Amino acid sequence: MNYCQACKVSVNGDWLNCPLCHQPLEKGSEPPLPNPYPDIPLRFNKKQVMRILTIISLATISISLIIELFFLHSPKGLNIVSFGIVSMWLVVLIIIRKRRNIAKSIVYLIISLSLLSIYWDYVEGWSAWSTTHAVPMICIFALIAMYIAVRLVKVEVEDYIVYLLCAAMIGLIPAVFLFFDWVTTPLPAWLSIGFSTVMLIVTFIFYRGEVLRELEKRMMV
Amino acid sequence: MKRKNWVRLDNASNIFLAAMTDFDTKVFRLSAAMEESVDPKLLQEALEHTLEAYPLYRSVLRRGVFWYYLEESDLKPQVLLDEQPPCSQLYHFDRKELLFRVVYYQNRIHLEVFHALSDGTGALWFFEDLLSEYVLLQQAQAPSDINKENSRLERTRENANVDSFIQYFRHKGQRNYTDAAQSAIRKLAGASKTVGKFALRYGKKFIQNEPTSLENKKKKKKVYQIKGKRTIDNRTHVVELNMPVQSVLTLAHEQQASLTTYLTALFIEAIRKTNPAVQDGMTIAVSVPVNLRQFYYSNSARNFFSTTRLEYTYDPAEEINLAAICKTLKEQLQQQLSQNSLETRLNKLISYEFNPFTRVIIRPIKDGLLKVINYFNNRGLTFAMSNLGKVQLPQTIDEKVHQVYFQTSAVRPQFCVVSHRDHLSICLNSPFIDTTLYKQFVRDLTALGVPVTISANKIAGPELRGEEE
Repeated sequence: MNYCQACKVSVNGDWLNCPLCHQPLEKGSEPPLPNPYPDIPLRFNKKQVMRILTIISLATISISLIIELFFLHSPKGLNIVSFGIVSMWLVVLIIIRKRRNIAKSIVYLIISLSLLSIYWDYVEGWSAWSTTHAVPMICIFALIAMYIAVRLVKVEVEDYIVYLLCAAMIGLIPAVFLFFDWVTTPLPAWLSIGFSTVMLIVTFIFYRGEVLRELEKRMMV
Repeated sequence: MKRKNWVRLDNASNIFLAAMTDFDTKVFRLSAAMEESVDPKLLQEALEHTLEAYPLYRSVLRRGVFWYYLEESDLKPQVLLDEQPPCSQLYHFDRKELLFRVVYYQNRIHLEVFHALSDGTGALWFFEDLLSEYVLLQQAQAPSDINKENSRLERTRENANVDSFIQYFRHKGQRNYTDAAQSAIRKLAGASKTVGKFALRYGKKFIQNEPTSLENKKKKKKVYQIKGKRTIDNRTHVVELNMPVQSVLTLAHEQQASLTTYLTALFIEAIRKTNPAVQDGMTIAVSVPVNLRQFYYSNSARNFFSTTRLEYTYDPAEEINLAAICKTLKEQLQQQLSQNSLETRLNKLISYEFNPFTRVIIRPIKDGLLKVINYFNNRGLTFAMSNLGKVQLPQTIDEKVHQVYFQTSAVRPQFCVVSHRDHLSICLNSPFIDTTLYKQFVRDLTALGVPVTISANKIAGPELRGEEE
């Protein structure tokens, strides 16, 4: 076994220097016992991750500056670029953070994209395209997407049912837009309301027990 | 469809979830060095047998709106080769995964457990049963005359899933939400009167003797914090010490101290020797967990422990001696372990959890608040130590186990102690690269004549490639 004269300890494993004081070890007559701790390669390097993130951020900023200088001459175009970039980052971040829960990530996407489109509409001078078309369409297709997604990746009923319920409830919000007359044509809002109502009724008839059990667990105070 | 059972988390676990970080994973590891290389197939079989008696270990952790909860799962644990740094993360939110893992390397079997599932004692029961099953399966392959009945630990498995915190420290008024809210409103009405009186009294006092509060501020103890550069990929830095238990016990008894207080005092001295500033009236504070099962009868395999906080302030005027440090630590420990102070502390902690106002705060905010509380707790601590005591296995099994080790992930330097037969193992864990403090502690031990053998994990690129630094 190897021995450190300074610390007066025997050292297991193939160390050349003492793990405590880093001075060279004295070789023992017998071969050292193997190290009980395997050599595990570094999992990641914090410095490297930071560097990649900085490069991506700088690249994004310089590309938008180039677009501004050479291609676009109106501030409206710039708005589109910045909203595009914001929505891209939003979608990427939500998908990365909620990647292990597909149903939850769809609910987060409905809420954030709807809010973003309403804000965009407001900044552009309110033509009510967000409340008339964007939000109801996002709600309808999100419900369809969730239905397909949970079947494709075989999510268990109890793991998505609460989120399906949330998405269906959000799909009823266009009723508010109708009530306050924030729409130019009522059809998309009615479609969303109808679709969500059907979803809610189906859930209520077939999955009432699961919904109640899940709510009891998740809402425990 | 099968209905899944679920239970709420115990009181102590909530803080682990809030305090968990990339480098402090709140995972601890129990290891046993066996006589021969480990057979992964037999270990897998032993694990499956053991798991039958511990349904709690099949749970996954899930997030509710107000609280976390443990939910039963059908996941099957898989014995794996030790290919991750010790005490690597076990719980990732939104991912359904078991809260423990069993790994092996050479002749060692490791059990790693997320602290929200169980504490050291609870996990040690599981580990002892796992080792017994493994040795029995090994014996079954080779003809031998081992008596199966004598080789299993007699353990009452009843109530293993019970939350003993609630069993012993929860008031009747807190049982259901409506009762709790009503009793809290009554209390609040009373409390506002008390607050009024208190404010009046304090106001008077303040006017009468203003200078005293200023003096108090000056006297406020400054707790020393160990700082350092973290390891490159956040892995825990481990140095494992092996020594004969008797030689350390003799040293401890010379100072009229227990093993826990003696080693803590030695570590405090090592900190002082490596940082001369400490000598100048700074306080060193250490957190020591205590197993509550020794005071309150419980078969629970879940968390059931409390922590004590011991401190020592160096007085520049006084001569330093180890015996004096041991004595103060012993007195503080005795005081904090008295039934009265244990009950006061735990009743308070449980009443925070079941307070109707905290109950309706949504979980992310609760986590945030607990993170803040944890941050201030950490600022009042220099290091932590944990002593799991003596591991006793049935004799026939014991012969096949060389030594047992215990370690945990660390937010600050700390050490874990466990003994088995004549061996004592101390694992020094730290998030930092630097080893000066460890070096001092080990040299102090060897200078007292204790023969020490060490093992360590490699933490930097050059070491891993076998280069000299």
